[in-house]
Amino acid sequence: MTAVQMLGTSLLLALFVLLAGCYGVLYCLARLRASRRIGRAAAAAYALQGLTAGLLAFSPLDFWWKALLLASFVAYLPIPPLTWRLLENLHEPEEQHS
Amino acid sequence: MYAEDPAFWRAGAISTTLVMLIVLAFLTVDSIATIRPGGANVPDYTVINKEIRYEFDSESNRYRPVIGADQPLFGRVYSAEQAEQAMRLGKLVIQSRNCMNCHTFFGNGAYYAPDLTKAWLDPAWQQMWMPMTQAATREEAIAIFLMHPEKFPTWSRQMPNLKITREEAEALVAYLKWMSAVETNGFPIHFGHIQTNK
Amino acid sequence: MFRSQHLALKYFAAAMTLFGIMIVAGLLASTQYVQDGFLLNILDFSVTKMLHIDTMIISLLMGFIGAVYWFVPIELERETVGIRLAEVMFWIFCAAVAVVAAVFIFVQYGPATEMSLWFINQGRKYVEAPRWAAIGITLVVLVFIYNVVGTAIKTKKVTGIMGVLMVDLIPLFGLYLIAFPSITNMSEDQYWWWWLVHLWVEATWEILIGCIMALALMQLLGTSRRIVETWLYIEVALVLGTGILGLGHHYFWIGTPSYWLGIGGFFSALEPLPLLGMVVHAIYDAGAHRMKTTNKPAFFWVMAEAFGNFIGGGVFGFMMTLPQINLFTHGTQWTVSHGHFAFWGAYSCGVLAVIYLALQKSRAAQQLDGAAWKWSFALLNIGMLGMVGALLVSGISQAFYERAMGGSTLQAFIEGQTNVWFVQGIVMRLVFGFVFAAGYVVLIYDLLTIGKKRTAAEGLQARVAGGPA
Repeated sequence: MTAVQMLGTSLLLALFVLLAGCYGVLYCLARLRASRRIGRAAAAAYALQGLTAGLLAFSPLDFWWKALLLASFVAYLPIPPLTWRLLENLHEPEEQHS
Repeated sequence: MYAEDPAFWRAGAISTTLVMLIVLAFLTVDSIATIRPGGANVPDYTVINKEIRYEFDSESNRYRPVIGADQPLFGRVYSAEQAEQAMRLGKLVIQSRNCMNCHTFFGNGAYYAPDLTKAWLDPAWQQMWMPMTQAATREEAIAIFLMHPEKFPTWSRQMPNLKITREEAEALVAYLKWMSAVETNGFPIHFGHIQTNK
Repeated sequence: MFRSQHLALKYFAAAMTLFGIMIVAGLLASTQYVQDGFLLNILDFSVTKMLHIDTMIISLLMGFIGAVYWFVPIELERETVGIRLAEVMFWIFCAAVAVVAAVFIFVQYGPATEMSLWFINQGRKYVEAPRWAAIGITLVVLVFIYNVVGTAIKTKKVTGIMGVLMVDLIPLFGLYLIAFPSITNMSEDQYWWWWLVHLWVEATWEILIGCIMALALMQLLGTSRRIVETWLYIEVALVLGTGILGLGHHYFWIGTPSYWLGIGGFFSALEPLPLLGMVVHAIYDAGAHRMKTTNKPAFFWVMAEAFGNFIGGGVFGFMMTLPQINLFTHGTQWTVSHGHFAFWGAYSCGVLAVIYLALQKSRAAQQLDGAAWKWSFALLNIGMLGMVGALLVSGISQAFYERAMGGSTLQAFIEGQTNVWFVQGIVMRLVFGFVFAAGYVVLIYDLLTIGKKRTAAEGLQARVAGGPA
């Protein structure tokens, strides 16, 4: 790996997780404000994360690391909605009683 | 719903932790065997009597230490016992002088001073310090430097004088020589070779 | 207030004092990067840096211990067992820290003998404290465990949170014993050393702060026990599920077998996933309560914790964890950038949140708000982000020039250190260090004063409730 390849790959990796975070945050805001617009922004963040994963496919990382990146890209998708649903279900009985 | 039952997640937490710990235990047994002196990745302490190089191995696609012909240290051939004593003393020097809070060993420590993993192989000893110290050998130059770093600076950031004795200095040099022969999976990358294509 | 809670306040005060010393040491060490020869042979970099990292560790530990002393009597509904002994141990702990620091500063090092390790410096990062002091810390932790477990036994009550906490304290204590041996073989030394460091800060400490946050959320937002407990178990599963073998990301280059490159990199790459879940949780809590809370600073520090943990630990960690990248970044300022951000986000923010919670109760203030906390929150976070960003620039330049191009020799090191990008980063780090220090000053002012001024209505209410006006 050359110096420039190292730099590019590491920055893309940071962007990958950062966009996952953006997707999560925007998803939550979309649910909180029941806003379709913010929901679309969340989808856009996830799409950008996918684009980043696509760019990383051209990096000099070994095949299995690229496979792991693809798998984790898929794994990031359900985390915000599942977590949100879990939290709602956990809180629901409390709200019924209060 | 089971996902709302804390007991479900408690069972998950306990089982996950146990599985991971068991795997770690197995890997530790194997790793310790590998890193024991004389193990697959860590040479016996008597390697200080040999020439050590760091070369690219095309089969594994990384740089690896290569142990070569006889190369006495300080004009001596260390017996197994003497080598072990030197290593013990060398490590005590490193700990007592707090080297890890300026330098790194295998990249761990502080980043104010250079990494010492392959320091034994650094061309600077022949190029800069042997002329400066007027030493006949590399190990002599390193020992003299360690005892009086303030007399042989190479740039504006100086190593302080840590009152290292002659015996301690020789032990430390032996330690650095041994350490440069450890198989580190290619760290630091292409040590001593400048890569010109960005 | 229980005696245990008074002790907690003492621990918090000690933690904040050490935090200040940490900052002073950090400013000195940072200056030594910028100004060659600064304090050379008086207080060398190895000493200032050691003071900086050790005060950080002890400060956080004291914060955790204080938080547990604060919550245990509330959680188990009685005074902590063995509280008098705990009070004595607190002063012994402080005295030991002071003596160790004094020896570090004034004696600094000794000859290469076991005596030096017993009385001066053990020279292993984070656990440099001489063996006599390590024994002292072990005793303090043992008494702490006795306090917690003894109280649970006395009340015959083990809540889910207390169960996790008590089980967590066993490895927390056991791992510390790795601070004692002096192993000749550097590979083996570092193998075990990483068990202590990683399984503390990326496993047992994560669980501990998780327990503390669970207890805090019940107070701060009135969240039900069932919810925080469920969440805590999920956290334990995910943190330990990724973190135990994530230990392998420290086993890339120390002489260990090459399968660690795969195992460590894989589990390490998974570590951000649970952190995203924590961010979702934080936003859910913020939204569900419409940002309404009686303790604004605690609430904001909890939010900072979730985001700081994700970005500092998750994003920054992921950027450098894959072995092919780590080969270049390992042991550079890049690591320092990640380390500062991760510690800040994962632990410091959480401890500050708990301190504000405790202050609200101890000063019987109905609402905790004001101007000062906002200033300290802004200054501290901006200072930290600035330092982290500056170190990232220096770190990237170092990985690029010293490692990737230069071949990591002394000459390459010098070229890396004197590179214009590196130098600019290291100067800006010092500048933002001063911003952070300013935030600390305001923080201390706020911690000393917040919640003390009463409105007339609050005073009347308090008198009616039977407390002080």
